[in-house]
Amino acid sequence: MSRQKELPLAKKKRVRPLPYLLIAPAMALFTMFTFYPFIRTIILSFALTNKAGNFSKWVGFANWTRVLSKASFWNVVGITLKMAAVNLICTMLVAMIFALLATKKVRFSKVYQTMYALPMAIASSPAAAIFLFIYRQKNGLLNNILGTNISWLTEKPTAIWAVCAMTIWMHIGVSFIFLLVGFRNVPEDLLESAWLDGAGPLQRIRHIIIPMASPQIFFVVFLNIASSFKTFAQIKLLTQGGPANSTKTLIYYIYENAIINGRFETACVQAIFLFLLIFLFTRIQFALENKVVHYQ
Amino acid sequence: MMTAKQQKKVKSNTSFIIKVILGIIFIAPLIIGVAFSIQTEETLVTYPLKLIAENPTIQNYVEVFRKVPLLAYLKNSVIVCACAIIGQVVFSSLAAYAFVYFEFPLKKLLFTLVLATMMIPGEVVVITNYVTIQNMGLINTYMALILPSLVSGTSIFLMRQYYLTLPKDFKEAATLDGCSDMGFLFRIATPLSIPTISSLAVYLFVQIYNQFFWPLLVTNKDTMRTIQIGISFLTTSDIISYGQILAGAVVAIVPSVVVYIFGQDYIIKGMTAGGVKG
Repeated sequence: MSRQKELPLAKKKRVRPLPYLLIAPAMALFTMFTFYPFIRTIILSFALTNKAGNFSKWVGFANWTRVLSKASFWNVVGITLKMAAVNLICTMLVAMIFALLATKKVRFSKVYQTMYALPMAIASSPAAAIFLFIYRQKNGLLNNILGTNISWLTEKPTAIWAVCAMTIWMHIGVSFIFLLVGFRNVPEDLLESAWLDGAGPLQRIRHIIIPMASPQIFFVVFLNIASSFKTFAQIKLLTQGGPANSTKTLIYYIYENAIINGRFETACVQAIFLFLLIFLFTRIQFALENKVVHYQ
Repeated sequence: MMTAKQQKKVKSNTSFIIKVILGIIFIAPLIIGVAFSIQTEETLVTYPLKLIAENPTIQNYVEVFRKVPLLAYLKNSVIVCACAIIGQVVFSSLAAYAFVYFEFPLKKLLFTLVLATMMIPGEVVVITNYVTIQNMGLINTYMALILPSLVSGTSIFLMRQYYLTLPKDFKEAATLDGCSDMGFLFRIATPLSIPTISSLAVYLFVQIYNQFFWPLLVTNKDTMRTIQIGISFLTTSDIISYGQILAGAVVAIVPSVVVYIFGQDYIIKGMTAGGVKG
């Protein structure tokens, strides 16, 4: 967390209210919209709720056993993990190539640097409108180009890939930026001496650039896993979890249970499960960090 | 024969052109959106589709503004963004100032709580927050849209990281000159942190303007929708043709893309400042 030392403010005085007043607005909002709902979500996962999502009676672990014993739930978890893996691999691959291409600052390199990151500024809703046009069956752009007549979003084998393609497109920019910052931090003289020693471009990438930028690469890997878990808009707008639940992820399932079916307690169990899943990956990230990452 | 210098120049020009072409391919969906938004409905249903319009028209834009309250959506988005950004800048500056310049009981615990908020993704609590807002009777209000975005652990962390870089004797010197605690924050620390605040503001604009899940939940009245939600409902409407949908999408994309292009250095700074060690 903090690398710098806090300011040593000498003289112990009596407790003054000012610092508390300064923190109070932030803390009040955190309490209301982060801590309270988090605790409430945990509590409601052990209770029944009414139609409005409020407490009606305790049921112990009944919700949890019901949710966790359903094959359909594990199917959703499986799809969530599969999508995360696909998104991670493709996003990293493209972002890595873009970042390597853009590392060297030359005149007008800003032009392609801007383009490689641009989709990250585009909202999922208008992007989905464009992708719906690309994917649509009747005179859609993709079918036009390929000369096919496929309903990309409503057929089981293609839907998940179509959703992933849009997510990957939207997520590359962020990864690209972090990797670019990392690659640009690699000392120039190190690359030069490797070059003088006869290291080719691929060797320089493998033995110098990637190890030196490992903190950023490592960070981006876990960032992509987390942001894939949180991807909601694409699924809502492209497939609504279909066809035959083949694109239904945990976050969409939570939305569907709470908002469409009014089963808030089920949604609470799944929301806590989602939290634990993200938390687990964060723990893995912290545990691996010191072993894998090379800090300068 | 080319000299070595000329050869090098040709090589670097070629690599530049290849990189730009790659970029153009990458942003193709954006180009597609614009290119087909200026075509008539007849050309959009005629096989084969042509990227370059034979008779470009702005009719889709005129129609979509006429049929859908796009300006009201945009106004809502701007109000939400402005309030949320001001809130985050003010509340995070205040809190960060307390954490950096004061010693007080429970400071460690309170800062841990700020960091803990970063471990709880908004998506986990979004449903419960929706119930809270509903219980408060705030559905379809600006309050509902703005409240959860008024503060974030990330922005407090970012401001704190900046204050930590200010020389420590600034405050002592100011205090000796008779500057009060709040005076130091408003007259010295805040003006000095304008670049950091700008980064934060630009970054937050793109993030909040592009929000989807939360505004979808707390608005169901057409006039209260933000632009993103308004656009998402176009695709399910029967009276709007696809060219008009694309026109609406392009309108929704323009503000965040313009802010991104001109503010990208700020955004990169804001994104990477709190992110990674090393």
